[in-house]
Amino acid sequence: MSTELTYESAVARIEEIIRRLDSGEAGLRETLDLVKEGRSLVEYCATELEAVSSGLEELRLEELVARLETTGTST
Amino acid sequence: MSSSAEPVVALPDSDLPGPFPVGSYAAQLKARLKQFANVQLIGEVWGFRTGRARVYFELRDGRGALPCSMWSGDFERLGVTLSDGVRVVVGGGCDYYPGSSTSSPAFSFAVTELRVAGEGDLLAQLERLRRRLAAEGLFEPQKQLRRPLLPKTIGVVTGERGKARDDVLAGLERRGWGGRLVWGFAPVQDRRAAPQIAAALRELAALAEVEVVIVARGGGSLADLFAFCDEALCRTVALLRVPVIASVGHHTDRTLIDDVAAASCSTPTHAAEVAVGIDCRAARVELTSEARRLHAHGHRAILVRARTLSHLARAPSAHLERQRRHLHQLLRELRASARRKAADGRAQGSTHLLVLRRTVARGTTSDKERRRSELTRLAFALAAHDPERTLTRGYALVEDPGGEPLTSAADARRAGDLRLRFRDGRLPARVSGEVETP
Repeated sequence: MSTELTYESAVARIEEIIRRLDSGEAGLRETLDLVKEGRSLVEYCATELEAVSSGLEELRLEELVARLETTGTST
Repeated sequence: MSSSAEPVVALPDSDLPGPFPVGSYAAQLKARLKQFANVQLIGEVWGFRTGRARVYFELRDGRGALPCSMWSGDFERLGVTLSDGVRVVVGGGCDYYPGSSTSSPAFSFAVTELRVAGEGDLLAQLERLRRRLAAEGLFEPQKQLRRPLLPKTIGVVTGERGKARDDVLAGLERRGWGGRLVWGFAPVQDRRAAPQIAAALRELAALAEVEVVIVARGGGSLADLFAFCDEALCRTVALLRVPVIASVGHHTDRTLIDDVAAASCSTPTHAAEVAVGIDCRAARVELTSEARRLHAHGHRAILVRARTLSHLARAPSAHLERQRRHLHQLLRELRASARRKAADGRAQGSTHLLVLRRTVARGTTSDKERRRSELTRLAFALAAHDPERTLTRGYALVEDPGGEPLTSAADARRAGDLRLRFRDGRLPARVSGEVETP
């Protein structure tokens, strides 16, 4: 079963991974797998945060529609 | 005023009388309005507010409205609470404040009596609509939608020149959010605004990249906010694919869009903070911390295990060396112990030998005596059974002529001739009678 990755699900999984690692119960293989998965999720979250960190972009609805129409036409 | 010294010039080509000083006209208007008969009016209260000396409100119905005022003292004596939509009957008459060079004129219906007539029609209509929409389940669909914690594109429906716009921006700034904001400007003032608000919402929701929409408007009377109670608008909101966060009026106002929307907020600033569920600045700090912790765990997992392996690799030789030293120690102790035991054994052997010798000597002597005593005891026993001893005690022994002992009367009768043996000699004897039994 695959669920859509979202910022909140990624953050929840990172917290779960860190709790597991903090418990000290994970073996070497599991630790390395968890660290790898956690790094991947951190990168995803960083990308998401980056997308809303470049400064507010304000558009009027009609401007955005026009832009999308232009993009749609050009393609 | 300087103008009073100048000649008065009337409007050219006008048949109207004058010009008259406005103050005189205003005073006459006041006097004329005062002549209007005092009457009772019925309508719904809107925009009730209190001033320093008077309370003010509008009295409305479907055809028109009248500004009203009442002395605060008179109103407080009534002991009633007025809010938008409350239906009242008022008594009073027209009043006009003519104003001055420094104050504005004002017309009002001066209320001297007031009675609450019941729940206002508009509020009653609103409540009926609220119940009907709830019964149709239209308050639920928006609540079921997933609201992203960190949307990248947010749509906002609000008035272009309203303060709500600035409040939304302030809320987003407070969250440290700098994504894409799409404004869907629409009039937000009265009932006729509802279709345009609904159209803006539909257009925003049609854009795939818009993840959440805020509908914002500042405070006002319920009449001002009535556009947000429009049935068609509420049905539109209920069926949108994106969650709508409503912030219409103040926390005391409750429009129908508040019930239908995914979330209802008291201010546009709050709505913006609800639309972006996290503080982006804090999230960045937290994410950096989590990345560090993950890195530390990965590093530690390798390092600790490498140290353990290194330690284990050294362990067998160290263990052997420990065992070897231990064995040497045991061997030394064993030798020392053997020497001590040998010395102690020799001393103890001498002692035991002496004791044994004494014991053997003592055993030989006592054995002789014991045997002698036993012989004596046997001699006495044999003597006790010697027939000679019986003869010495006075008994006689009966023998046949051959010298064999006869031990019964029957044997003696058969033998006939007998010999009686006494202690001092033998005598011949003959049996003369029969055996007599005792």
